[in-house]
Amino acid sequence: MTTEGIRLGQPGISLPVGTPTGEVDEVDLVPVQTYWQLVRRRFLQNRLAVIAFVLMIVLVVASIAFPILGGNLWFTTSLTHGPTDPVSLAAPLGYDNDGINIFFRLMRGLQTSLSIGFFAVLIIAGIGTAVGSVAGYAGGRIDNLLMRLVDIVLSLPGLFLVLMFVAFLGSGSALVIIFAIGLTGWTTAARLVRAEFLRLRESDFVQAAKALGASDSRIVIRHMIPSALAPVVVASTLGIADAVVTEAALSFLGLGLLPPEASLGNMLTHAQDYFYRQPLWIYYPGIMLILVVLAASFLGDGLRDALDPRQRIEA
Amino acid sequence: MGKGTGRQLASYTIRRLIQAIPIVIGISVISFAIVYLTPGNFVDKFRTGRVSEATIQNLIHVYGLDQPLPVQFWKWFTNFWTFPVNNLAWGFSFTDGQPVRDLIFARIPATLLLMGTSLLVTIVLAIPIGIMQAVKQYSWADKIITTLETIGYAMPTFWLGLILKQLFSVQLKLFPLYGMQTLGKHGDIPDILAHLVLPVTTLAVIQVAGWSRYMRASMLEVMRQDFIRTARSKGLASSQVIRKHALRNALIPIVTLLGLTIPSLLSGAAITETVFSWPGLGYLGVTSVIERDYPVVLAVVMIGGVMVILGNLLADIAYAVVDPRIHY
Repeated sequence: MTTEGIRLGQPGISLPVGTPTGEVDEVDLVPVQTYWQLVRRRFLQNRLAVIAFVLMIVLVVASIAFPILGGNLWFTTSLTHGPTDPVSLAAPLGYDNDGINIFFRLMRGLQTSLSIGFFAVLIIAGIGTAVGSVAGYAGGRIDNLLMRLVDIVLSLPGLFLVLMFVAFLGSGSALVIIFAIGLTGWTTAARLVRAEFLRLRESDFVQAAKALGASDSRIVIRHMIPSALAPVVVASTLGIADAVVTEAALSFLGLGLLPPEASLGNMLTHAQDYFYRQPLWIYYPGIMLILVVLAASFLGDGLRDALDPRQRIEA
Repeated sequence: MGKGTGRQLASYTIRRLIQAIPIVIGISVISFAIVYLTPGNFVDKFRTGRVSEATIQNLIHVYGLDQPLPVQFWKWFTNFWTFPVNNLAWGFSFTDGQPVRDLIFARIPATLLLMGTSLLVTIVLAIPIGIMQAVKQYSWADKIITTLETIGYAMPTFWLGLILKQLFSVQLKLFPLYGMQTLGKHGDIPDILAHLVLPVTTLAVIQVAGWSRYMRASMLEVMRQDFIRTARSKGLASSQVIRKHALRNALIPIVTLLGLTIPSLLSGAAITETVFSWPGLGYLGVTSVIERDYPVVLAVVMIGGVMVILGNLLADIAYAVVDPRIHY
C-alpha cells in the first residue's frame, strides 16, 4: 500500500496514486483504509509532527544511553578537572566547579526530568480516565458532583497546590514531586474523557452491548475506555511538557530534587550561582527544557490531528 | 442592549454567584486540608532541645492547634470573610507576627503595578501582531512570527527571567538585578521603572506569544465569514473592512481571555516575582510555602481561588455585553 494518496472530501475514502479518478464508480470500489492506516498516514504527512517525534526519540534514547555509557560520571567530582579545562570529546560541555562532567550530568538530568514527566502523566491519565469515565457514564448527580470537584481543583492556583504538596509532604523526593504534579493536574484529562463518554454512551455499539446484557463495568472497560483513549493520549503527550517544566520550577524554587541527584531544574538552579563567571551554564539545561517542551507539544498536536482531524482539543 | 436583556443579565449574574458558593467552600476545604493534614507543623521548628516542652505545649494551645480540625476550619472560615473590617481576619503570620491581612494588603500595589503594566504591554503588542499575521497569512513575516511565538510559548518563565537578568543586568548592566526599588531611593519613579523593565519583559514575552496566536486565529475565523465577503464585494477599502468589520468581531474572544487573565492581576505571577524578588503577592506566597507560614499560604491560595472564580464570571458577563448574539 502506498502512503501517498489523493484525498477526497470525505475522510476515510482515499485513492491510491494512479487510480483513474475520472470514473465515479471506481471510487466506491476502492477498499477503505483501516483507522490506524489512516492515522499513520495523516501523522506522516505532518512534517512538524514527524520532526517532533524524531526529536523526542533522540531525547529519550540519549537520556537512557548516555547515563549508561557514562556510568558514575554524572556525579563524580574531580580535583584535576574544572571549568577552565578545554572542551574535549570526553567532556563536550566541559567540567563544572566540582570537576563534574557537565554533559553527562545534563543527560542524567534529562533522564530524571523525562521520567518524572512520564510518571506524573501516567497518574494524570489514570485519575483523569477514572473520574471522567465514571462521571460520563453515570451522569446525573454523580456527574454533577465530580464536575464540581473538577471546577474546584481548577479554581485553585495550580502552582501553589503543587508547591504546598511538595513543601508539606517532603521536598527533595522524586516520588512526592510525581504525585504532587499528578494529583493536581488530572482535571483536563477528566473533562476530555467525560465528553467522550457522553458521546459514546449514545453510540450504537454501546447500545448494542447493553442490549446484549453486558454489565456496566464490562461496557465501560472493554468498550468505552478504549474508544475514549485518543484524547487522553493527546492530552498526556502535551502534559509531559507541563510536568517537566513544573519539576524544573519546583527545583528552581528550592523544593525539587537536591544535588547530588541531577534534574534539569536543579542544574539550572546550580548554574544560577555561577551567573557571573560561567554565563553559558544556564543555557544547557534551559535549552534541553525547551527541546522537551517543543517535542512534546508538536508531537501532541500532530497526534491530535492524526487521531481525529475533526476534533480540536483545547489543552 | 435593551432593558429586558439587562434584567436577564442581572439574574444570570446572581445565578452564577450562587453557583460559585459551593466552589468557594470547596477550595477553602481543600486548601485548609492540605495545609493542616500534613505531617509536622509550625511549632516543630522550636523542637530543637533548647525550648522546653511546656513552652511548646503552650504555643500549641495559644495558636489553637490542639482543637479538632472541623472546629479549626470553621473558626478560620467564618473569620476569613470579616477581613474588610477586621485586620486579624486572616490571623497572624507565624514568621513575623504581623496580621496576615496587612502583610498581604501591603503587597498588592507591587503586584498590581507589575501585572497591570505587563497586561498593558501584552495588549498593545499582541493585538496588532495577531491582526498583521492574519491579514498577511502565510507570508514570511507570519511564518517567522509564528515560529517566535512557538518558542516564546515553550520557554519556561524562570529560564527566560534568568537569561534576561544575565544579559541585561549582569553583562550589559542596563537594569537592576532584582527588587522594586534601590535602597535609599524610596518612591523614586525612574528607579521603579528601571526595576520594572525586566520582569515586565519576561511576562510580556510569554503572554504576547499566547495572545497573538489567539488573536490571529480569531481574526482568521472572522475573515472567513460571509459578512466580510459582503463588505469586500460592496467595494469597501481593505483597511476599512479590517478595521470596521473584522476587528470588532475578532476582539470578542479576546474579552474572554482578558477576564481569565484578570485574576492574575492580584494573585500575581509567582515564578516571575520570585526570579526578580519582586515584592508582590506571588513572591510572598512562595516564600510563605517554603517557611511553612500556614496563615499566609492559606490567605494567598484563597485569594487566588476566589479571583479565578470572579474572573470566570466577569469573562462570561463581559462576553454577553459585547456580543449581542449571546442570550442567557
